Amino acid sequence: MRHVIPICEVLCFLGVTAPQEIRAPQEVVAGEEASIPTTGSGKATLYLFGPGVSDKRDVSLGDDIRLPGADLQNAGQYFAVVCSSACRSASFFVSAAKPSSLTFMAHPSRVPVAEGDAISGVAIPFDKYRNLVLSPETVSFRLSAGKSSIFSRSVPAADGIAWFRAASGKSAGTLQVTASLNDLEMLRAVQQVASEPCNLRITGERNAKGILVRTEPVHDCAGNPVPDGTIVTFTATADGEKSTVDAPIKQDIARAQIAASGLAVISAASGVVMGNELRLGVR
Amino acid sequence: MMTRKTFCFYFVDRGAILLAMFALVLGSAFYCAAADTVQVQLDTREAKPRAVETLTERAIFRDYRFAWRNIAQALESNSLDALEGSFAGDASQWLRQTIVSQQHSGLSQRYTQQNHKLKAVFYAPEGDVMELHDTAEYQLEFMDGGKIIGDQHIVQHFVVLMTPGADHWVIRQLQAVRQF
Repeated sequence: MRHVIPICEVLCFLGVTAPQEIRAPQEVVAGEEASIPTTGSGKATLYLFGPGVSDKRDVSLGDDIRLPGADLQNAGQYFAVVCSSACRSASFFVSAAKPSSLTFMAHPSRVPVAEGDAISGVAIPFDKYRNLVLSPETVSFRLSAGKSSIFSRSVPAADGIAWFRAASGKSAGTLQVTASLNDLEMLRAVQQVASEPCNLRITGERNAKGILVRTEPVHDCAGNPVPDGTIVTFTATADGEKSTVDAPIKQDIARAQIAASGLAVISAASGVVMGNELRLGVR
Repeated sequence: MMTRKTFCFYFVDRGAILLAMFALVLGSAFYCAAADTVQVQLDTREAKPRAVETLTERAIFRDYRFAWRNIAQALESNSLDALEGSFAGDASQWLRQTIVSQQHSGLSQRYTQQNHKLKAVFYAPEGDVMELHDTAEYQLEFMDGGKIIGDQHIVQHFVVLMTPGADHWVIRQLQAVRQF
């Protein structure tokens, strides 16, 4: 790369001033000191441009220019321009230091059990200056419910990112999702909840207000109780009229009071699951 | 057959358009100010594991282009306001540091003739983060006060992390690397 200040070039060519050369450091790690050797003699001005820094100061040609680590904390490309009668420039790269933190995103926060590719996580390592660490690092992902591990995989980060996708476990409850890199460990929690209700069954009885219907404890097909708040829809057909009541499950059971006096046929559904049909005669 | 997903856009500000019309009317040659040009080509075909949705692709293209226009404005005028909206997190922090540092030292940088070949390489399963590789080519002038102390044609590789905001994507990481 080249930079030009024509007037200076002309003066240098005519021997009016002594040209200087600067050599960029080969490899610099974020936060570490570096130096730029110069040739020539006399005073000059150093300009340093880089991510997070724009500095101007006097330097002596022929000496090494010291760049403090505080000026080189952000990874990226830096440009040093040294000007006396003419300007010379050089560029160098600062790379990230070793990982010191891990950004970890796990999804979703709530997931039905036994669902394929339902849980995913992305881990991104950063150094202590919050530079993205692009050197090859291996991140270990682990999913565990209680003391039992349901998934474990080591993933080499590609371009600074490691990720996984996994099926949810079979039991409802808290799933711990861990990403670790060397001595760094990040923990996330995913709540596993019952899947769709299975074998929805209802019972009912007449009372003074009509018909009280309720479900038996509602579970998914793996036996996990369906979470409170899940809606069960009761539909009653009596005297040619149809009425519908939505009732949330509370402590495994959904209840509804239906106003119907004659012969009533009652059914229940939750999501895509239909329950049994109940026929209640006239009181 | 997979269709090629490439966008290309030249940003020319209103002043340049008016100038162009004026020049055409006069029948004279028109010189488009290079400082106003930001060209972006976006390729999302190799993004994994999630395929980039068409609307997301458009948003990334739009927001990345504006981000670079804002970088150029901010670093030339030493104005923090120009960075509003396009950046967050670490990228926002170092850009702000740069501008504050420039304000103190009286230096500035001018980015012109920007040409970005942007390639999405990672799109998270849940769509909450995207990594892109940008091979950027531009003319960069270093200025001390009004005086140009360096003028270079730069080809630079950036690793970029973008995340979705409320109604647009923001750059969270913008890190120049020697090579991909």
